[in-house]
Amino acid sequence: MSNVVVADEAPGAARESRGAGRRRHKMSSRRKKEAFYFWLFISPWLIGFVGFLLGPMIASVYISLTEWDSFTAPEWVGLQNYTEALTEDPVFWKALWNTFYYAAVSVPLGLVIGVWLANLLNKRVRGRKLFRTFIYLPTLVPLVATAMVFKMVLAPSGPLNDMLGWFGIDGPSWLIDETWVKPALIVLSAWGAGGATVLLLSAMNGIPRELYEAAEIDGASPWRQFWSVTFPQVTPVIFFNLIMGLIGAFQIFSQVYILTAGGPNNASKTMVPLLFDEAFRFYHFGYASAVAWLLFIVIMAFTLIAFRTSRKWVFYETEVR
Amino acid sequence: MVDKAQWRRGAGLAATVLLGAAALAACGGGEAEDDGTLKMVVWGGDLDKETYQARIDLYESENPDTKIELQLIPSDQYAQKVQTMIAGGDGPDIMQVAENVNSYSSKSQLLPLDEYIEGAGLNMEERFGPAGELYTFEDQTYAIPDRSGAMILYYNKDLFDAAGVEYPTAAWTQQDAQAAMEKLTIPGEQWGFSGAGWWAQWWSFAYQNGGQIIDDSGKPAVNTPEVVDALQWANDLQYKYHYAPTASEYADMGPDMGGDPAFAAGTVAMNATGFWGIGGLLESDINWGIAPLWGGKEQAVSAFGSGLSITRDSDNPEKAFEAIDFLTDTEAQTVIIDKAQDVPANIQVQQSDAFLSPAWAPEGLNMAAFGESSEFIFRAPFIPEWEEMQATFNDNLGTFWNEGGDAKTELDKIQTQLESVIE
Repeated sequence: MSNVVVADEAPGAARESRGAGRRRHKMSSRRKKEAFYFWLFISPWLIGFVGFLLGPMIASVYISLTEWDSFTAPEWVGLQNYTEALTEDPVFWKALWNTFYYAAVSVPLGLVIGVWLANLLNKRVRGRKLFRTFIYLPTLVPLVATAMVFKMVLAPSGPLNDMLGWFGIDGPSWLIDETWVKPALIVLSAWGAGGATVLLLSAMNGIPRELYEAAEIDGASPWRQFWSVTFPQVTPVIFFNLIMGLIGAFQIFSQVYILTAGGPNNASKTMVPLLFDEAFRFYHFGYASAVAWLLFIVIMAFTLIAFRTSRKWVFYETEVR
Repeated sequence: MVDKAQWRRGAGLAATVLLGAAALAACGGGEAEDDGTLKMVVWGGDLDKETYQARIDLYESENPDTKIELQLIPSDQYAQKVQTMIAGGDGPDIMQVAENVNSYSSKSQLLPLDEYIEGAGLNMEERFGPAGELYTFEDQTYAIPDRSGAMILYYNKDLFDAAGVEYPTAAWTQQDAQAAMEKLTIPGEQWGFSGAGWWAQWWSFAYQNGGQIIDDSGKPAVNTPEVVDALQWANDLQYKYHYAPTASEYADMGPDMGGDPAFAAGTVAMNATGFWGIGGLLESDINWGIAPLWGGKEQAVSAFGSGLSITRDSDNPEKAFEAIDFLTDTEAQTVIIDKAQDVPANIQVQQSDAFLSPAWAPEGLNMAAFGESSEFIFRAPFIPEWEEMQATFNDNLGTFWNEGGDAKTELDKIQTQLESVIE
């Protein structure tokens, strides 16, 4: 019976050993109860998942194949929305490029700053707790408030350019300059690097001290200690931050919306603001859904690449043989 | 024999899917029972809420059997929320609409009101003047004007006196305005004008030149010499003559800085904006006045306003129209000006003492400027693709407004793009 094999994986039967196949059609009352509670406790999540995630996702696949203004009946157009986005719409490619640019710079930059700060905060210095608090603080400020403050910070004669002026650098007009608006968004993202720092710091705290002691006896410099002891031990957390950072960067929305609304000349328009405008300002739900799925594919591809390459550089102690 | 464990699992999944579907259905089916209450949605802030509610209270006290439930939505979320309501089959009875009215009417989400207008014996021309035609689309009326005021010119009397310039009047031409700006500008410190980067401002210049954004046959006409000259002039005032602050200079003044706050701070001598400017200025220290905007080859100025419409979801369109009729009649419209919210669309109210000398106005404020301007308001093209048209302008003119540039080049690009946007 083929279904016996399938049933072996049924959650309710998880505890059963493989050898007991013959008695499987009769569940003991204890296992029945267990199965009942399994479904009872998982159901809130399952209902939420099917009703509010899987359902809308399937619906959006359908919508992406139609032309729909959200008011009148959708009209089937096949793959036209996809071909339009990929071949005709210059804004789509611009937005995709902007999104890549942002992700390609902000994610690595955030990780480098995060590791650097975490390493500093891991040193036994006075006021360490205070510094830790300060570095995490930006993450706690609501994004809208941060963005408003950054409008002032990034003003052409604002504090940031004043600071650059001390070094003889004539700062650009950040948010109103096509070339500099994306770097401006990246500056804002770097400000929130404290979130990654906290995770990395806890990973660094978990590194056994004897590894450093042994390294010191062998005459390793602090730099060497960092690369040969600290870094390999925190790669799983770096990897986690990389994946979350990639997904977050590809989905950047609020910062763009508040700071520039995508301008000037679409220079800061990224994928999510693009699909938001298409859906909720121009009433092109079909097109917006197609853009959403294209973005999904892009994120999926990059996440896969990250996972594939992770074997080469992510170190799990439990895997050491 | 079906394996029991498998059956259970199947049943569990089926139950989950069913429950999930039920949860979804419940979201869609949240329609309230019809108890004669009218739902009315408007956008705005506290003052708007207070004013609309006061008008509704008037209506309810005269029609005790009808209740109107007011829902105020913050302006930046309005379009999205209303769209969701309508798409969910739960549109309001009465809905405030403005420039993008025909995004809805062209998709038959609003009821044509002509029958109701006729049935109620409402004379649109008599009550609203030219504004009565503002919300018609393909010969049918989709909204009744509710608020409607021309853009007017605010000027700083002290700065004018100090520079020895006569106060502006409707008789000014673009050249007069530019000459005044020159005298009113102190480089890097004070500017003669706040700039004209907003559609309502530079489009006024285009129509003053005799141009049109969308021509009479419904085609875009934005790269005609008239429109090009207007846009170039507006830009030159900022980047060639420096009579108006540049984008960088505004950004340095503070976050979300623009003409209105800069005028209230006394840094710019003239600012063209709507009635709402008054609210901010009543509390400012500067000595200000208002006048109609200058003209060009002809006089033309844009207007701001909104109308009240009835959505196709309304269970009770007759009652909803009765309410709109009342809300746009003299008594309820007077509240709009008493509370200093906006210019009422009703022209009888615009000509009344209540409007011309409101209790809150500073001594000698020329409220007649609104009535005077109403004679040369141009009719902005409220096409169904309004939002996309605006986005096309904003996208292409981003750098132009931030750094200066050539109007013809930009408008040629915009013309091509608009031709594909507008069917």
